[in-house]
Amino acid sequence: MPDSAISKTSAMAPARAPDAVRSRSTSLRARGEPFVWLLGGALAFGVMMIVGFLLLVLWNGIAAFFPKPLAEVRLTDGSKLAGEPTRRERYPVTPEQLGKLASAPRAAILAADGVSGRTLYRIGNYDIYNEDFRWVSDFEVTTVAYPAQLMFVERREWGPLVGSAVAMKLGNEAERPMAAFSAAAVTAAHREALARWERIRHLERGEIGRINHYLEQGRLRVRRAELRHGTASAEAQTARAAAEEQARELQKSYDAFSGEARDLRQRDATHLITFAEIGGKTKTLPLSGVVRMYAANDLHLMDKLAVYVSRWWEFLSDEPREANTEGGVLPAIFGTFAMTLLLVLVVAPFGVVTALYLREYARQGRLVSIVRISVNNLAGVPSIVYGVFGLGFFAYILGGTIDQVFFSERLPSPTFGTGGLLWSSLTLALLTVPVVIVATEEALAAVPRSMREGSLACGASKWQTIRNIVLPRAMPGIMTGIILAMARGAGEVAPLMLVGVVKLAPELPIDGFFPYIHLERSFMHLGFHIFDVGFQSRNSEAGKPMVFVTTVLLVALVAAMNASAIIIRSRLKRKFQGSQF
Amino acid sequence: MAPRRKRDRKTRRSVIVVDRLADWTITVGGIGVIVAVFGIMAFLAEVVVPLFTGGQVEATVGNSRPPKQGRVVMDVVDEYNTLSVAVTAAGEVSAFHLPTGRPVEAPEFDLGGTQPTAFGRTLSGGEIGFGFANGSVRFGVLRNDVKVLRRTDLPGGLSKLDDRDSSDGRSVFRTIPAEQVRQLTVGAELNPPQMISPGKAIVAIAYRLGGTVERPTRSFATLDADGTARLSRTETRVNLLTGAISETVTTSTLPELPRGLEVAALLINSEADQLLIADRGGTVYRFDTRDFARPKLAETIDLVPGNGELRALGYLIGEQSLVAGDSTGRVDVYFRLPRPEAKSTDGFTLVRAHALEPHAGGVLAMAASLRGKMFATVDAGGQVWLRHSTSSQTLLKLAVPADAAVETLVLSPREDGLLALTGDGRYHFWKISVPHPETTLASVFGKVWYEGHSAPAFTWQSSSGNDQFEPKLSLVPLIFGTIKATFYSLLFAVPVAMLAAIYTSEFVHRTVRAVVKPTMELMASLPSVVLGFIAALILAPLVETWIAAVLIAFVVLPAALLLGAYLWQLLPLPVALRLEGLPKFAAFFLVLAAAAQIAFWIAPAFERLLFAGDLKAWANGDIGSDLPFLALLLLPLGYVVASQLFWRGFGVPFEAKLRQLGHRLAGAADGGRWLLQGLVALVLSLFGAQVLMALGLGAREGLVDTYVQRNTLVVGFAMGFAVIPIIYTIAEDALNAVPEHLRAASLACAATPWQTATAVILPTAMSGVFAAIMIGMGRAVGETMIVVMAAGNTPLLEWNVFNGLRALSANIAVELPEAVRDSTLYRMLFLAALSLFVMTFVINTAAEVIRQRFRKRAAQL
Repeated sequence: MPDSAISKTSAMAPARAPDAVRSRSTSLRARGEPFVWLLGGALAFGVMMIVGFLLLVLWNGIAAFFPKPLAEVRLTDGSKLAGEPTRRERYPVTPEQLGKLASAPRAAILAADGVSGRTLYRIGNYDIYNEDFRWVSDFEVTTVAYPAQLMFVERREWGPLVGSAVAMKLGNEAERPMAAFSAAAVTAAHREALARWERIRHLERGEIGRINHYLEQGRLRVRRAELRHGTASAEAQTARAAAEEQARELQKSYDAFSGEARDLRQRDATHLITFAEIGGKTKTLPLSGVVRMYAANDLHLMDKLAVYVSRWWEFLSDEPREANTEGGVLPAIFGTFAMTLLLVLVVAPFGVVTALYLREYARQGRLVSIVRISVNNLAGVPSIVYGVFGLGFFAYILGGTIDQVFFSERLPSPTFGTGGLLWSSLTLALLTVPVVIVATEEALAAVPRSMREGSLACGASKWQTIRNIVLPRAMPGIMTGIILAMARGAGEVAPLMLVGVVKLAPELPIDGFFPYIHLERSFMHLGFHIFDVGFQSRNSEAGKPMVFVTTVLLVALVAAMNASAIIIRSRLKRKFQGSQF
Repeated sequence: MAPRRKRDRKTRRSVIVVDRLADWTITVGGIGVIVAVFGIMAFLAEVVVPLFTGGQVEATVGNSRPPKQGRVVMDVVDEYNTLSVAVTAAGEVSAFHLPTGRPVEAPEFDLGGTQPTAFGRTLSGGEIGFGFANGSVRFGVLRNDVKVLRRTDLPGGLSKLDDRDSSDGRSVFRTIPAEQVRQLTVGAELNPPQMISPGKAIVAIAYRLGGTVERPTRSFATLDADGTARLSRTETRVNLLTGAISETVTTSTLPELPRGLEVAALLINSEADQLLIADRGGTVYRFDTRDFARPKLAETIDLVPGNGELRALGYLIGEQSLVAGDSTGRVDVYFRLPRPEAKSTDGFTLVRAHALEPHAGGVLAMAASLRGKMFATVDAGGQVWLRHSTSSQTLLKLAVPADAAVETLVLSPREDGLLALTGDGRYHFWKISVPHPETTLASVFGKVWYEGHSAPAFTWQSSSGNDQFEPKLSLVPLIFGTIKATFYSLLFAVPVAMLAAIYTSEFVHRTVRAVVKPTMELMASLPSVVLGFIAALILAPLVETWIAAVLIAFVVLPAALLLGAYLWQLLPLPVALRLEGLPKFAAFFLVLAAAAQIAFWIAPAFERLLFAGDLKAWANGDIGSDLPFLALLLLPLGYVVASQLFWRGFGVPFEAKLRQLGHRLAGAADGGRWLLQGLVALVLSLFGAQVLMALGLGAREGLVDTYVQRNTLVVGFAMGFAVIPIIYTIAEDALNAVPEHLRAASLACAATPWQTATAVILPTAMSGVFAAIMIGMGRAVGETMIVVMAAGNTPLLEWNVFNGLRALSANIAVELPEAVRDSTLYRMLFLAALSLFVMTFVINTAAEVIRQRFRKRAAQL
């Protein structure tokens, strides 16, 4: 009947409008263009969120240590201030501020919709001004200059100082104006002062700390003997005598060290440098109290880079100072790594064993599938809940028992009965073990059944099959799971706040005293460092650069772990692809 | 030797051993880990359970006590439950060793041979006041003097009382750890008499100590035989130079009481600004004595309705709660609260706040705790009940195993013992343990009426600097905080994540997807402490400054995208098709960036329009009108209504018309239609706002009545970073798992990609997408660091998006490090953790079950 169909169409054609073909084009509504734009817009928004976030963190983190110029700002009210311009922003001027202004600037601001720009200056000199930062609105400024003699001085106390060096006094010489010293001489004197300071710290913290440690050990030995055998027992008498003997010897070396430290301190107090700040006051401080100083406006690019690199080096290799807002984060890096390492040592075997049991040994039935769903869901239980469990069970119950049995001489101060590295790792292990179980199970399930059967048919035992056939094939998946668990563990902070992280740990978990690894000690953590510096320090603005740099470090650490998970997975996949049956 | 050869084919022994060993290790290890993981819930529950069990009796002692004349009117037990010191109606003092009943010597009060006619005592211990027939009063104190000795300093010649205690007749020596001995001796002191109502016998006396250490005051109220009540104050001044002590007594007479009043109780408080006189019928005359010289009768109120008689009336610690027990067995707790409608002269009235479980028989006596809101009552049938005022619960029910009535009831200073002295010369002592009297399921999840509060409320306030502070532990504000944070973050995250997931799965080329999806997933690996830091220190101040821009962005961004879409429709078809892929995707970014910039530009103008130029003053209700803000809130709704109105009314003819127009003309017409629709939406929302205003439903009453810097808006946005990638990934996986042949069939039937996505893909993947939202919700519920840092941590019960919140998780993180092990707060925080655990576990399990069902269904398609 094709003929009739054609004729029908042709018959109807004249009745229709000439552009009837058009009507078969898709209607605008069906294309849903506006909706598609909303969908795409949402995706674009999500991508912008993450990219913007990363750029914000990276830019602030990477630029934080770069020396900025020092501005000398003269204000409309005649006063002056000097400082690093930290950031600029536009803000709506409040009516009270507007009211106080002269007519010309007011008109300018009103013309700009009541918005003005302002700059945050890091003026330093906290000991003089009681503030580190000051906002300066554009309409307050008369002139801005960048004098070459202004110096940015990082001190051990009171935060940075901004001012110009006027005089220096070395040892018993008389004080001489700064012009009398060459740059090299200043550097040399400063270096010498820093070395002296290092030596004092080594004596007071290292040597005298060691003596205190031995004294404490002696006291504990006596206490233990008393607890075990009674106060009046012969053992206790011997221990007491030995401890006294040891204390006498230690006292001798203590006297020697503290004498040397005292001499050094006296010598140190004679090396002074004087700065004049913008308000006209002068400040004299020991040369060793200056960590770093540079004439910010007089630096070449290479000098700036040198300052930048030296700050990074300090950040990565030194201890924090100034309530964590300056200095380095070595203990936090160390703590994060140690905890993550311990976490892996615990989580890897247990996670893999459980997955093996669930997949290879348990009879697959309703019960196992319920267990599987539950394990899957445990990954979604809030981390803080694990923290609560860790504190209540590991620290208080398990640790309390350990203390009573093995460390009764130290009671009532707890050894294991409080938060510490071991309990933190165990808590996070519990938190991340579902990740490893799920990943391992998936990897095991992906090993073809034929391979297992082939191996068993060749006479291999079940364990031999698992060891030689199943596990190697599942390795990429297992590794991925473990690394993902590490990444999650390294980024968690909330549970650690309950089970052992502290803002400042005086001792690292590893040191030169027996048994060298101290799992009971509390530790510092990069994530908690961010929380602490950002939220609990004197001035969160002063800590911001530090927080951003720490953030970059933590994000990089976590991202590196995630990336290595992906790389290992793909590399191992390639390795096993060749051996496919 | 042929059979021997078979050996070669036998499995080596070591292989078998290793295999068995592996078998065994893996099974034990696997089951062990599973048990351990589930043990978490069991452990949390185990810590929580003691909160809801009442008290328990650890030991009971029943013995006869040393015989003395007369009724016991007062008894003091020391902190360690060693000694009981009793004062009889004759003023005689006797002490005995609590665990054994053996007498211990106690100093007498030298009353000069006269019999006291009235007794009064303070809340806190051994201070006692006597009233005499000649109208004088005397005050004394019984002290438990405690000295700690080295064991070697113990005097000789002691007689052993029991295995811990020994006595020399005057003192009791108790062995305590660290080779030490605690010596407990009763001391007594009596002040000289003071004449108050010459010639008229004192029938009732009440007294309190107050003032400062340098200038102590003693306030006391007396009632004489004529029915005249007096309020007196003794001020003691110590001369710092000479050490001489001078006392001055001032007395004022209270307004006249009804004649023939039979006094049941006379009470004053430490500040001596309130005085209560109760008669036997239960009528309480409350005097306002803030003006010492001119006391006023503030209110007369009947605490015992019906025929009952008032039997016991006393303050609990803090003197805010008044316990009344009557002859019908009823025990009620009253608060003095300001009530505007009260018929009193000072605006306050006694309000019955807690009605406690009634006794079967009439109440005989009550004993209040010295440290909390616990108290004990005893009835005529010898039933001793330990109760808690705030939680209204009966903690322990004990029975005195004797027929004789209980004369005096004492609750030990550490709330760990109850002593009842009976009329037959015996005593009964229960060593009790009531660790968590203030918590019941009702007090944790329901409203509780706390002292000084005008009504029952949900309150979380776990600590304060004040000693007499009562912790207020209701989980409801915290659960509300968690729900609020979750709600607002999902309100933001779900649309973004879902729309993005649909676009990724249905409209984007595979190569773009391979880049975009990992980028979004990268968001999930950002440590939440970083998100919290950025939110609180960078975002929150920014949002505060540019709040108008942020609010406008919620309208401007979608509007700009829609505008872009309508402009795109104007492009000639071939051009549009050529630009379909990456260029279009890039256009989205450009449009969003431009829209953000526009929002930023017009923000100051909008701030003037919406908030009269100052958000904080506006939110407080000082300036401006609600109208523009309400209209902004209603705008999305107005848009939906406008578009529904249009498509329902003119949809079919309009579409037919569009088909007849050329491509470009149709696009223009559609764009015009959209602009018109937007205009209508604006008018509609303005109209709706007017209507709401007319109904009195302003935006600022309860909805946005205040603005704080760290608020839910910021939390919602920051939480978006944590939740969006999760919802996005799982939803995208679900959409992608819809079999390709469905998609192909739909497109082959000439459906557009948009029609395919909405009519075929989305319905099929719906359950998987729903599971994604549930899992995202689970993450939002448990998120800790973001809410700790950015939410302000104020436990509020309001939906205001500009105010903060305190979530369960943040509360645990903030308070648990400070909580004392096994204290009530510690267990409450475990309960909070358990609640979180259960909430997330239920949400996740439901999601997982739905997801598995979806997978099975998708596989069958």
